[in-house]
Amino acid sequence: MSLLAVSNLTKRYRRGGKSIAAVDDVSFHIDPGETLALAGPSGSGKSTIARLVLRLVEPDAGRIEFEGDDFLALRAAALRARRARLQMVFQDPLAAFNPRATVARVLDDPLRIHGIASRSERPRRIAALLERVGLAAELASRAIHEISGGQRQRVAIARAVATKPTLIVLDEAVSALDVSVRGQILELLLDLQRQERIAYLFISHDLGVVRAVAHRVILLDAGQIAESGDARAVIDAPRSAIGKALVAAAPRLHGTRR
Amino acid sequence: MTALTSIRDLTVTYRRDGTAVAALKNIGLDVVTGERLAVIGESGSGKSTLALAIAGLLPAASRIDGRIEWPGLGRAPLGGRDIGFVFQDPSASLDPVMPIGKQIAEVARTHLGLTWPQAYAKAKNLLERVRLPDPDSALLAFPHQLSGGQKQRVAIAAAIAAGPKLLIADEATSALDTIVQAEIVALIRRLVAEDGMTLLFISHDIALAAELAERIAVFRHGQLVELGATARIVDAPAQPYTRALLDAHIGLDAEPLLNRSGLAT
Ligand SMILES: Nc1ncnc2c1ncn2[C@@H]1O[C@H](COP(=O)(O)OP(=O)(O)OP(=O)(O)O)[C@@H](O)[C@H]1O
Ligand SMILES: Nc1ncnc2c1ncn2[C@@H]1O[C@H](COP(=O)(O)OP(=O)(O)OP(=O)(O)O)[C@@H](O)[C@H]1O
Ligand SMILES: [Mg+2]
Ligand SMILES: [Mg+2]
Repeated sequence: MSLLAVSNLTKRYRRGGKSIAAVDDVSFHIDPGETLALAGPSGSGKSTIARLVLRLVEPDAGRIEFEGDDFLALRAAALRARRARLQMVFQDPLAAFNPRATVARVLDDPLRIHGIASRSERPRRIAALLERVGLAAELASRAIHEISGGQRQRVAIARAVATKPTLIVLDEAVSALDVSVRGQILELLLDLQRQERIAYLFISHDLGVVRAVAHRVILLDAGQIAESGDARAVIDAPRSAIGKALVAAAPRLHGTRR
Repeated sequence: MTALTSIRDLTVTYRRDGTAVAALKNIGLDVVTGERLAVIGESGSGKSTLALAIAGLLPAASRIDGRIEWPGLGRAPLGGRDIGFVFQDPSASLDPVMPIGKQIAEVARTHLGLTWPQAYAKAKNLLERVRLPDPDSALLAFPHQLSGGQKQRVAIAAAIAAGPKLLIADEATSALDTIVQAEIVALIRRLVAEDGMTLLFISHDIALAAELAERIAVFRHGQLVELGATARIVDAPAQPYTRALLDAHIGLDAEPLLNRSGLAT
């Protein structure tokens, strides 16, 4: 059974008097422990799909099944409980946190809200989470604005895994990181996936990164699926016009365009 | 080749909880008029601090030692007019409650002395130049109605609206797809070639920096470790740190990180 099954998802927006289909009849599924990447040009609907899957916005049409249940039918308490298993990491963690909160506080909240650990147990859990993402325990007392961007992204991942999710939505989560930190965070995500069979919906413009970490990829264009398949096969030999254009335009370090 | 700006012995120190953090140490660097210079280096190495120092935008609590001179300008630069700045976080450059057409038009009106109708026409033209689809409706849109990459393009349009001598782009293309990225690169090349603009391009994407820049400066721990022609830096880096940065790049031919056998799908 699929972990997440999305069928015929559609979302329209009005802007400047016009209606645009940000997501237009999109269907896909993700299996447990799998990484599905979403790539495609700017404005093709990637972030809108992420928000729909997380139920941060409601679709105009379509169905989302998560862990076998009709996710769109879940209300209040049931939805809150289920959210623990469906987490997110976005591009700018600073925007997602209160910058004055301490790292410990940021990690304590999900453990408390979802009743995952008792008050006395939580400091130990927080230390374990920090260790999991390769951060020193003394970072716990620092404010979010007092740590570097790469460290902040690790805290965001620690927070996301705190509630033992089965799926994490990552929207450009590594785009703003430098190459060495990016590599470390990708390794960390893959380790977590191997250990706990976490699935990822991985949104990125970086086709090299998508090729290196994803099992499958969907290429979107104007809200619709242009092409999908094995990540390496698609990126090495795209068939759709948009796939060819995206790959052809990717910068190469040594100017060796294939 | 005159230096547009000449940086000598620049040291920038931030104060944090009573302690001083040196973000840049004794930097000496010329940005040559009409060149495309890229700055690369790990997170926290001082790239944004350098950009802010050149633009005169460092926070009041920072301490600046050394000199930043403007021989290519013959006077001190006027912010917004002489220097266009695209910030690392696109939402930092945009006002959330003002339609984006008005935001761009305002820059053109203030610095170029245009009337509102002229400034709006200019804004529309700029949105076309950064390849924003449907510029007419985009002029009326608010930032939250745009995707990440669309916002980034609006920020670039606003930064070039006044025809600056120097464009500083701090991680300005990280949210763009490769096609738009290539178009922005072409646009920046045209602005440099035709309008005599100079570019300071900060990016974590080393391949993109190499494609766009004629020279690359490599920063680490607040110091300039290496500076040279792009081909020399990429093909024959003198410093092990530069080599490590290049090796960490995940290109289209990189070995997959994914251990397929370890995952059941
Ligand atoms: N709240 C909104 N109101 C109106 N239009 C919106 C809204 N959110 C998104 N859109 C539009 O929907 C389309 C899809 O946007 P979305 O953010 O999903 O794109 P994306 O693929 O994530 O792009 P990017 O790569 O630039 O982040 C875009 O044309 C965008 O302008
Ligand atoms: N306003 C500030 N107050 C205190 N310290 C700061 C401030 N801004 C930056 N720093 C510190 O100065 C150093 C250099 O930061 P800077 O933002 O210039 O790095 P960067 O190279 O742009 O990094 P990134 O690639 O993550 O954007 C870092 O150690 C950072 O923590
Ligand atoms: Mg997006
Ligand atoms: Mg920076």
